[in-house]
Amino acid sequence: MDLVQMQKSLQDYTKSLFLEGILDSQFLQLQQLQDESNPDFVSQVVTLFFQDSDRILNDLSLSLDQQVVDFKKVDPHVHQLKGSSSSIGAQRVKNACVVFRNFCEQQNVEACHRCLQQVKQEYYLVKNRLETLFKLEQQIVASGGMVPAVELGF
Amino acid sequence: MTVEQNFEALDQFPIGMRVLAVDDDQTCLRILESLLRHCQYNVTTTNQAQKALELLRENKNKFDLVISDVDMPDMDGFKLLELVGLEMDLPVIMLSAHSDPKYVMKGVTHGACDYLLKPVRIEELKNIWQHVVRKNRGSNNGEKRDGSGNEGVGNSDQNSGRANRKRKDQYNEDEDEERDDNDDSSAAKKQRVVWTVELHKKFVAAVNQLGYEKAMPKKILDLMNVEKLTRENVASHLQKFRLYLKRISGVTNQQAIMANSDLHFLQMSSSLNGLDSFHHRPIPVGPGQFHGGAPPMRPFPSNGILGRLNTPSGIGVRNLSSPPAGMFLQNQTDLGKFHHVSSSLPLNHSDGGNILQGLPMPLEFDQLQANNNNNNNNNNNIRNMNNNKSIAGSSMAFPSFSTHQNSLIRAPNNNLVVLDGHPQASPPGFPGHQNNKRLEHWSNAVSSSTLPPPQTSNSIHHQFDVSPLPHSRPDPLEWNNVSSSYSIPFCDSASTMSPQALDTPNPGAFSRNTDFNSNANANAQPGGFYDSLQMRQSGNYGPTTDAMLSTNPKEGFVVGQQKLQSGGFMSADAGSLDDIVNSTMKQEQSQGELSGGDLGYGGFSSLRTCI
Repeated sequence: MDLVQMQKSLQDYTKSLFLEGILDSQFLQLQQLQDESNPDFVSQVVTLFFQDSDRILNDLSLSLDQQVVDFKKVDPHVHQLKGSSSSIGAQRVKNACVVFRNFCEQQNVEACHRCLQQVKQEYYLVKNRLETLFKLEQQIVASGGMVPAVELGF
Repeated sequence: MTVEQNFEALDQFPIGMRVLAVDDDQTCLRILESLLRHCQYNVTTTNQAQKALELLRENKNKFDLVISDVDMPDMDGFKLLELVGLEMDLPVIMLSAHSDPKYVMKGVTHGACDYLLKPVRIEELKNIWQHVVRKNRGSNNGEKRDGSGNEGVGNSDQNSGRANRKRKDQYNEDEDEERDDNDDSSAAKKQRVVWTVELHKKFVAAVNQLGYEKAMPKKILDLMNVEKLTRENVASHLQKFRLYLKRISGVTNQQAIMANSDLHFLQMSSSLNGLDSFHHRPIPVGPGQFHGGAPPMRPFPSNGILGRLNTPSGIGVRNLSSPPAGMFLQNQTDLGKFHHVSSSLPLNHSDGGNILQGLPMPLEFDQLQANNNNNNNNNNNIRNMNNNKSIAGSSMAFPSFSTHQNSLIRAPNNNLVVLDGHPQASPPGFPGHQNNKRLEHWSNAVSSSTLPPPQTSNSIHHQFDVSPLPHSRPDPLEWNNVSSSYSIPFCDSASTMSPQALDTPNPGAFSRNTDFNSNANANAQPGGFYDSLQMRQSGNYGPTTDAMLSTNPKEGFVVGQQKLQSGGFMSADAGSLDDIVNSTMKQEQSQGELSGGDLGYGGFSSLRTCI
C-alpha cells in the first residue's frame, strides 16, 4: 500500500471512529495538542489511559465480587474512569460509566455487574480501535510520510 | 530566572502565568498539563494534594493559580481548596467530572474561584487568568484605611470584608504609617476602610460583647474604639457579617469556618465582592473621545476595587486608590497619598527589588504630574517616582488600574487625565511601554507612581494619546481578553514614539522606556502597564489602536495578573483603578478642555497614546 493510500485509510478509519461514537471531539482536541514539541502526545496520553483503566477495571471486578459490595469504594473508581475516559474522548466508555454510577447510587449489585460488563466491553473496543489507529500511523511514519491532520466534518 | 527574564515573563501576563495543577488521575493530569501549556502558562503538576500544599507553602509567591481535582484519594479537593485559600489566598479552580450542582455549590462556598467540568476544554482554560486578576483586585481593595470620610455603606461594601492577608495587614500598617505623613486632605476625601483581620477581630469582639442580636453599629463603634472609623463603616461591615453568618450556617465545614472565621469572613466577603464587582461592572468605557467633556467613565464603585490589590505591590496601589475616586485626582494630596503608597511598597516588598518593577504606571504618573519637578527629566529613575510626591498623576493612573475590568482601560485615561492636570509634565515616558507587564508590575508602579518622570530606563516611551480610559475602551472585558493586546508594541508601531527614553520632555509624546531590565525601575513597569492600559484606552485615539490591540494576543493583559517576583502581585484592582480612573476623569472634566497635546487629544495635553 503506498503512502497516499495509507494516509487515506487512516483518515477513513479515524472518521469511522467518530461516526460510530467511539471517539468524540475531545479526542480531536488531544490531537490538536500534539505538535513538534510534543510529537507523541496522543499516544502517550492514551497509553496512560489504558494503564489507569486496566487497573480500575480490575479493582472494580474485585470490589463487585465481594460478598458485601462496598459501594463507597466502587463509586470513586467508576467516577475516575468516567473522568479519564471523557478527557480522552472515549465517549462510549464514558456513557457506560454514567449508567454504571446511577446503579451504584441505587446500590443495585446485579445491575452494577451488568454495567461493569458493558464498560469493559466498550473499553476493549476503544482500546482495540485506538491501537489499530496508532499502528496505521506508525506505518505511515515508517514509510516516510506524515500523519495527516484529522479532517472531520464536525 | 534572571530579573530580566522575570520581567519579560511578567510583562506578558497571562502568558507565563504560573499554574499548579493537581489531579490524582494521571491521564487527566497529563492532558490538563498539555492544555495549560498550550495556553502558554507555566505549569507545575502533582498528583497528590499533600505535595501540592508543600509546594505552595514552600513559596507563597511561586504560583498564581491553582487548579485542583475534587476527588482525590489523599485529600478531599475541597479541603485543599480551603487550605489554599486561607493560607495563601491564591485563586483556586476546582475541576471535576461531577456535574452535580451541589458539588459546584460546595466549591463556591469553600471559596473556589471557578468550577470546571471534565473533560476540560482549552477554551475554558484560556480565560482562567481572569481569576488571578480578580483576586488581586479584590484583595487590594479592602486594604485601605483612611480616616474621615469613609465612603459609607455603599462603597464599603466593596472594600470591607476583603480577605486580608497577613501581607496586607503589614501593608496596611505600613500604609497607615506612611499616611500619617501625608497631606491631610484625606479628611476631605472619602476613605475606604480596610477591614484587616485585627480590625475585624475587634469588631467581632464588640459584637460578641454586646450580643449578636443587640449589636448596633454605634455601640459597636464605641466598643471598638478605633480612630477614624465611622458608624457607617461599621454598619456596612455588620451587614456583611450578618450575611456571611447566614451563608455559612448552611456550610458543613463550620468548624473550619469558626476556627478561621475572621479570615474566612474576610475572604468570603472579598471574594464575593470581587465576584460581584467583576460581574457587575461593565465598563462603560466607550469609544468616545475624551474631549474634556463627558468622560464616559462611569462612577465605578472602584473604591472597593481600588483597594484590592493584594500583593505588596498591590498595596501601593491600594494606597493610591484610597482616596475617594473622584476626589482623588483633584486633590493634590492624593499625590501625597500615592507617595506614601509607593513608599510603603518598598517596605513590603520582599524581593528587594523595586516594587514598582514592571509597573509602568508610575512612569506615567510622573509624566502626568504637574507637580513633578522631574517632569522634564525623563530619565528619572523610577525610584524617584516613588519619592515623588506628586501623586496626582499616579492617582490618575491608579484609577485606571483599579477597576478590575475597567481599570485597565482606565488606567491610561488616568494618566491622561493627569496629564491634563499637569500640562507641563511632558510625558517623560510612559511608564512601562511594555504593557504586557503584569499587573503586579502595574500595581507596583502605581503605588510608586508618584509620577516621577518615568524616565526610568526601563520605561518605554510611547506617545500615547491620553485618552480617558473610559473612552478608549468601553469594555473592560477587553482587558480580560487574553488576546487583547495592550501591548505597547502596538503603540509603537502606531506611534512615532521612539523607544528610547525621552531625554527631553516632550509634552506631546510619551515615550516609555523600554528598558525594563532594571528592577530598580519598578516604576517603569507600572508605567508600562499603564501604557498598555492606555494603549488600550487610547484605542479611540489612534486609528490603529483597536487593530493593534487586538492583534497581539500575547501582549496582553499585563494588568497585574502576575505576581511580581518580588511577591507583589499587583493585579489591577478594579476598584482602585476605577477610582483612579474616575477621579481622573472627573479631574479631566473639571479641567475643561484638553490641551491639545501633540497627539492632539483634547484634554490630555501631552499624553497621547500613539495608538
